[in-house]
Amino acid sequence: MSLTTSTSPDGQTFTIQIKGKFDFNLVQAFRSAYTEVNDNLAMVVVDLRETEYMDSSALGMLLNMQKTLNGKVNAIKISNCRPQIKKILQISRFDKKFDID
Amino acid sequence: MKILVVDDQELNRNLLQHMLKFEGFDVVLAENGRQAIDKCKQEQPDLVLLDVVMPEMDGYETAPLLKKLSTEVYLPIIFITALGDQDSLRRCLEVGGDDFLNKPFDRVILQAKIKAHSRIRALSMKTFEQNKELDFYRLKTEREHQIVEHIFNRALEGNYHIPHLLDYHLSPASMFNGDIMLVALGPTGNLYVMMGDFTGHGLSSAVGTLPVSRTFYTMTQKGLAVGDIAKEINDILLTLLPDDMFCAATIVELSSKGQSLSVWAGGTPDMYIVDDEIGIKTHINSQHMALGILEEDEFDISTENYSVNSNERLFIATDGVVESFDTDNQMFGYERLTALLNDKSQNSIEQIVNALTEFRGNAEQDDDISILSLRCGAVNSDVDNFDDIYSSLPHRMALDLTIEQIKHADPVVELIDMLTFLKGAEFHRSTLFLLLSEAYNNAVDHGLLRLDSKIKDHEDGFIEYYVQRAERLEQLQDGLIQVSIEYDPATTCIHFIVSDSGSGFNVNHIDVDIESDHEHGRGNVLLRELATSVSYNETGNQIKIVYKLNNNPLYHE
Repeated sequence: MSLTTSTSPDGQTFTIQIKGKFDFNLVQAFRSAYTEVNDNLAMVVVDLRETEYMDSSALGMLLNMQKTLNGKVNAIKISNCRPQIKKILQISRFDKKFDID
Repeated sequence: MKILVVDDQELNRNLLQHMLKFEGFDVVLAENGRQAIDKCKQEQPDLVLLDVVMPEMDGYETAPLLKKLSTEVYLPIIFITALGDQDSLRRCLEVGGDDFLNKPFDRVILQAKIKAHSRIRALSMKTFEQNKELDFYRLKTEREHQIVEHIFNRALEGNYHIPHLLDYHLSPASMFNGDIMLVALGPTGNLYVMMGDFTGHGLSSAVGTLPVSRTFYTMTQKGLAVGDIAKEINDILLTLLPDDMFCAATIVELSSKGQSLSVWAGGTPDMYIVDDEIGIKTHINSQHMALGILEEDEFDISTENYSVNSNERLFIATDGVVESFDTDNQMFGYERLTALLNDKSQNSIEQIVNALTEFRGNAEQDDDISILSLRCGAVNSDVDNFDDIYSSLPHRMALDLTIEQIKHADPVVELIDMLTFLKGAEFHRSTLFLLLSEAYNNAVDHGLLRLDSKIKDHEDGFIEYYVQRAERLEQLQDGLIQVSIEYDPATTCIHFIVSDSGSGFNVNHIDVDIESDHEHGRGNVLLRELATSVSYNETGNQIKIVYKLNNNPLYHE
């Protein structure tokens, strides 16, 4: 389980990448990751390519992030989900609130 | 040195025996051809002195039989003869004689001839020994090649079985292929294909394929982006390969619906996206240096992305194709290749291979040749095919977690790891995790710690909730959580039962409204949607979740 962040060379996209398990153990790390972003960012990407597990606490964390960033960035994208993770997001109607690819 | 003397006259035999013994040779005697053959078999002489005219079997008849007894090493036969006519001498040579000795015997000539022929025999014996040794090494090498070949086959054994999308032709210039083609399905149903070409060909360049394939399969299983896979392989090759060896490679990822193509290419010939009707639609040039050259910090993971559809194929070939030569030393070249690809009646892999073979004619293939075509269609990952591989054995595990274990251990992932050893369960890993995680965390948070989910609804409540959770868990004096997991092969159902020693809650008040903006209750909705069934006991301190592995709608959408 780990969380890493990166900013694209043009400074437009901020990516949070979560490896392994996305659950309440990441509450602090996840929050401090997105509170750092500056206001003129175009997009925040949560890259779940390497996320094997997530539970409802992760969903709460994502919603919290959306509330905080709403208005600050143009889009929040959840990308590279595995089918089972995508299913969890769909059941929770996250496709209405996030751009999921 | 042992010499066989064959003569029917006792006088001659004795005379020769005397002379030879005086020179220090061992002597064996025979009175006629038949005896000579027996003696030859028994005594294994190094040289034969053979009389021509003898009763029973004469010298002409005996010589070829003696030669036959020693086919591997040269056995000199010197005819003893008083005959001086050309015909007789010629006949001696024809039947296998190597030299003549005239009667009466001259000691010096006899000595010279024996010496000369024994030198030839010594040489012949040496050659024989060396041949034997060579044979030994040849067999040993063959055996080693077989072992290595076996290892390669096992290591490169991949998922080539995607016939509706993938067509390919691999033709190594020697026994071992320095080209490598790897195919793997990623966790999101995406398809990865790698085509690589190591410097040179043969065994020395094929060794590099082993670490590459291992890395490729590990990374694709994790579902990494092609640029990251390339970087990983680059790092491995940088460490393992000598400086002058590297691997030109293309790594592509086709999305599960076959609509987008992501390409990382380093040091490879042009690739083409070929439309079924109009031919070549896009040229893809390699943007990077080959793998195994650049240091970690210089490496560029950027990829090229293309929107594709099912009327298109990606065509990749190693440089062995365009750099094939015909008997006039002409190169096949890009022009011939693109002409074929642009002609829709000529551009199947088979037709291109045939055209290439025809072009080359009798010229030797001097590099490995690999060609592949990837149809950009829906991947249809084989998940459906796993239906029949669910475990047929009933499994059960149960554990009682004491207060110390609840405080310090994180049992869910460990249990899921164990559970997914069960045949057929691996593909449900994330879902199984979610189910058990929700049940277990509810037992801890609400059963034992009596936390109120409504805290999460307050401003910053989410953090507050987990701060309180940590505090209460620290202070908790006693408590027990029991987890039982059972698998029923008849229904392919996994039953989770999680009970806690808390006082329970009113099971009728469980919040299941997903549309509400409440921060809590989301877990219960997920449980109900993903599980086959969810139930509680009356007191509300035990939850039972059933999840059916087979026919889970997730894989039949």
